[in-house]
Amino acid sequence: MTPMFGQDGQRVLTLITGIADLTAEEVDKVTDAWKHVCPSDRAKAWARLVRTTTEQERYQILAAASLARREALVTAHRLRRVDWAFWAAVSDAAAAVAAGTRIGRHYDTLTAPLAAVMPPLAACSGVAPVSAAGFTGDDPRTPAVSSEGA
Amino acid sequence: MKSWLTDLPEAFPDALVIVDSHGRIIQANARAASLFGFDERAMTGLLIQALFPDQLLALPSARSGLPDEAGQHLELVGSRSDSSRFPAVVAVMPVKIKRVTAAVISIRDLTDAQRAQFVLRRGVEILMSESRDRRALLRHLIRAREEERLRIAADIHDDAIQLISAANFRLQQLRLRLRDEAVRGILDKLQEALTLSSSHLRQLIFDLRPSGLVGGSLGPALRVYLDQMHSDTGITYRLDDRLSARAPDGTALLIYRNVLEVLANVRKHARASTVAVELLDIEDGYLIRIIDDGVGYDPADIEDRPGHLGLVLIRERAELAGGWCRIESSPGTGTTVEFWVPLGVSSTEPDAGHERAG
Repeated sequence: MTPMFGQDGQRVLTLITGIADLTAEEVDKVTDAWKHVCPSDRAKAWARLVRTTTEQERYQILAAASLARREALVTAHRLRRVDWAFWAAVSDAAAAVAAGTRIGRHYDTLTAPLAAVMPPLAACSGVAPVSAAGFTGDDPRTPAVSSEGA
Repeated sequence: MKSWLTDLPEAFPDALVIVDSHGRIIQANARAASLFGFDERAMTGLLIQALFPDQLLALPSARSGLPDEAGQHLELVGSRSDSSRFPAVVAVMPVKIKRVTAAVISIRDLTDAQRAQFVLRRGVEILMSESRDRRALLRHLIRAREEERLRIAADIHDDAIQLISAANFRLQQLRLRLRDEAVRGILDKLQEALTLSSSHLRQLIFDLRPSGLVGGSLGPALRVYLDQMHSDTGITYRLDDRLSARAPDGTALLIYRNVLEVLANVRKHARASTVAVELLDIEDGYLIRIIDDGVGYDPADIEDRPGHLGLVLIRERAELAGGWCRIESSPGTGTTVEFWVPLGVSSTEPDAGHERAG
């Protein structure tokens, strides 16, 4: 399964399977957090993401984002939440996790809203690997340390 | 209590063997015997290495204590009594009771899991391959549409408009010979109709091949379209053009096409009163954001149903050009479309320099 979502496929799967466990309050928190991110920064992050990846990698990243978004839609419906900022936030985070260190500091921009309720997301895979059992960032508060992509 | 402990290996869901510090099997459960094709009692005394030949399986020894691999899951190849092989995941759990060091080894046959994984992987490969084909087809469709637009625009320009112009000219000549005012009035109406037809055809040519984008800039071309949309539908607009430089022709055309596709959706489905169009420079590319205040839609309803080629094309155009696209909506909250394309678009559109009509 891993190749489908890139090298960090396991992290992506962990993220996706975690979406269904979110509560309504957590969904609201993610929604609010996403709206507080500067839209231009988010656009820059996505631009960097597509610039620093090959077509094949982009395909995997977009597949991850798309599946995560779908899962978020289902969860939002179940919790009677209809603000699209939530599934946009989940989609952003899944794309960033699939892209990993390649997008440098932009990783934080894309993951921050969801990381508000899934703290281990804040650690980029280049820093803290994730086990099959789940995210294993030792300290969830540790900011992502990553190099700027080319 | 003792009886319960004796029964424990049999209650274990996997194959289980207990070995001493030399790797000799002290006890094996029925599942282990069945898995390796031995009689249960025949396994006792066998070396564990016989079950996993030529593979390292670190066991605890009385002298060196517990190995580093203790408690870890290893993927090994098991060997049955008939020498057939199978993939297995093996967990070694060292135990020390009084002075006796031993290891409890659980073994799970991965054959079925690997087959399932293979089938799943194959399924994913097929899906990915079909998705690539779909993409190639879309790329072809986008090119074909653009080429067809060019051809139709050229035909209208070279044929229909020329004929209308010739007819108009002849009507003017005819008008000069007529003395009857009533007939001249009819002729005037006829000329007006021809002039209007010609004007509509020229607008159609512009829509098919927006000449204003070649050597011009995107903002003014979009403003013309938005003005027309406002007069047709009453939808008010806000155009925020913050592009610092003129986009290359291919990029400008791609953006123009996408914006028009979005605005066509706004006209048809959104029931919006206002639409905002923003053009921004971002990261050596162009970010376009179109936000309407219409009724919106539920993505879960819409995206699963076929027939939304317009939305697909918007996304595909941006992605094929090496950019990205986001289309989001919720019931009652309008729709937001944003897409970014890099400065140097890997063109999916015919060369803008092939302009023939205008």
